[in-house]
Amino acid sequence: MASTIQALHNKLQNKEISCTDLVQQKLTQLKESNYNSETTILDEYALDLAKKVDSKIANGENIGLLEGIPFGVKDVYLLQGTYSSAGSDFLKKYKSPYTATAIQKLLDAGAIPVVKENCDSFGHGSSSENTVFGAVKNALDANKVAGGSSGGSAVNVAKDFTTFSIGGDTGGSIRQPAGYNKVYGLKPTYGRISRYGLMAYASSTDCVGPIAQSLEDIQLVLNVMSGKDYRDQTSYASKAISNETVTNTLPKGTKIGYYKNFIESDALAPSIKANFETMLATLKNEGMEIVPLDFFDGNMLVSTYYALAMAETASNLARLDGTNYGPRAEGNSLKEIYSVTRSENFTEETQRRIVGGNQVLSQGHSEEIYNKAQELRGQISHHFNENFKKVDIVLSPVTPNPVPEIGNNLKDPMTMYLSDAYTVGFSLGGLPTLTAPLALETGVQITAAKKQDAILFTCANFLKQVL
Amino acid sequence: MGKEMTLDVLSSIKGASASKVVEDLFEVIKKGHINSNTVVNTNVNAVAIDDLRPDEVINSSATERNLIIENFPKEKNGFLVVPKVIEE
Repeated sequence: MASTIQALHNKLQNKEISCTDLVQQKLTQLKESNYNSETTILDEYALDLAKKVDSKIANGENIGLLEGIPFGVKDVYLLQGTYSSAGSDFLKKYKSPYTATAIQKLLDAGAIPVVKENCDSFGHGSSSENTVFGAVKNALDANKVAGGSSGGSAVNVAKDFTTFSIGGDTGGSIRQPAGYNKVYGLKPTYGRISRYGLMAYASSTDCVGPIAQSLEDIQLVLNVMSGKDYRDQTSYASKAISNETVTNTLPKGTKIGYYKNFIESDALAPSIKANFETMLATLKNEGMEIVPLDFFDGNMLVSTYYALAMAETASNLARLDGTNYGPRAEGNSLKEIYSVTRSENFTEETQRRIVGGNQVLSQGHSEEIYNKAQELRGQISHHFNENFKKVDIVLSPVTPNPVPEIGNNLKDPMTMYLSDAYTVGFSLGGLPTLTAPLALETGVQITAAKKQDAILFTCANFLKQVL
Repeated sequence: MGKEMTLDVLSSIKGASASKVVEDLFEVIKKGHINSNTVVNTNVNAVAIDDLRPDEVINSSATERNLIIENFPKEKNGFLVVPKVIEE
């Protein structure tokens, strides 16, 4: 599928459609939808911006490629003057005082936000059921989950309610819902896009990334959002992904790695395993060199990730106590005010992660668990560095199992955590990883070495052609 | 000193206690093998001291200030009302 953004741009510039009509069409679709993919629909906000684009076109001016293009924003990003709930009761009435850098860059390019998107509360989930706005339904089967935590964003793109959406990925939250809804979703290298204005879940793995129906649209949006930001010291300057990168294919002899233990695991669904093996055989026939690699056990990856993510989220959410943010409960003492406010306004899963995080960080556990998890993370990163001396890219399934039904994930948190087994490792390594809706039921993950985001596009284009 | 804080106090969540599912995750880490022959950098995303930005105050806009005030859980004459702090 070619760029939807480019096609819409041409229609707008050639006056085949007005920007107001285009935006109104998306707003109507969102209002009539019963997928629970939104938290706030930005009617007035979006239509005001659309009118400005229309008057520019009416005056004979040229518009930029993203100008007038409707997009969605996961409800963990701040957009000045709009509600940013993080899918929680705590921040249901919280109005963004400023705009996140990544979103501001899109606004500066003229793109129009039409919706704040439903997601797991504070990013705490893998199904978009842990939200006070109702479970998000899968775009392809409304009885199944949308994936999470950026479920609303993936569904909006898949249903064409938005041309693209901006998700957030801490342990797989863009890649997994993209796979579940058969669209592209990119977690860039950690730091390529500023996190300023993204509500922090686990700051050391949080990434901003685009979800879209085509590789070309992922490229366009990524290029606009990337760059060093004064307000996020972990951000870095990067080279734009060129058009050639997206249209090139991999040369014969490219070394494609895969993790043996992922594919040999009993936890992997037979259908996904069979399709993955067929894919490898096809790539071998195309002249690629397939390289089996050893890696950490899925349970170890999940445990390391969750220990660190819980510790970070316990710290990041400590400020939500009813003093500066959220509704303040009444109480006889400061401690009571805090605990009643937090008990009433955090969901059960968010409470589980906060308590788990405090457990990790508490006396006696910090050495045994937190410090050890940090050491394991260091070893995982080291392992990746060594792997990418041997291969150019690594392919893996996005998830071990097919898309689950709505209603089971939150009852069985361990199963939910283990469903992240194939995504969290790459988060711990800060590696760029793209979900392409190809070959496997929940998509294929393409991973490259740090800051080598460009090869993901060439690889995905190649896979599109041969699979 | 030496008084151990319980999880419900640490988390400011009523009745909070350790959950089995989280304990199970931690058990896996406890059993994890660290390869002592591998030298690894655990500060993978840390910013170098030389790259730190200057410590400076940047005033927010009037719009931003007004929105921050609008978000106050309790407000009086443009100020945030905070709970009484000293109790024990």
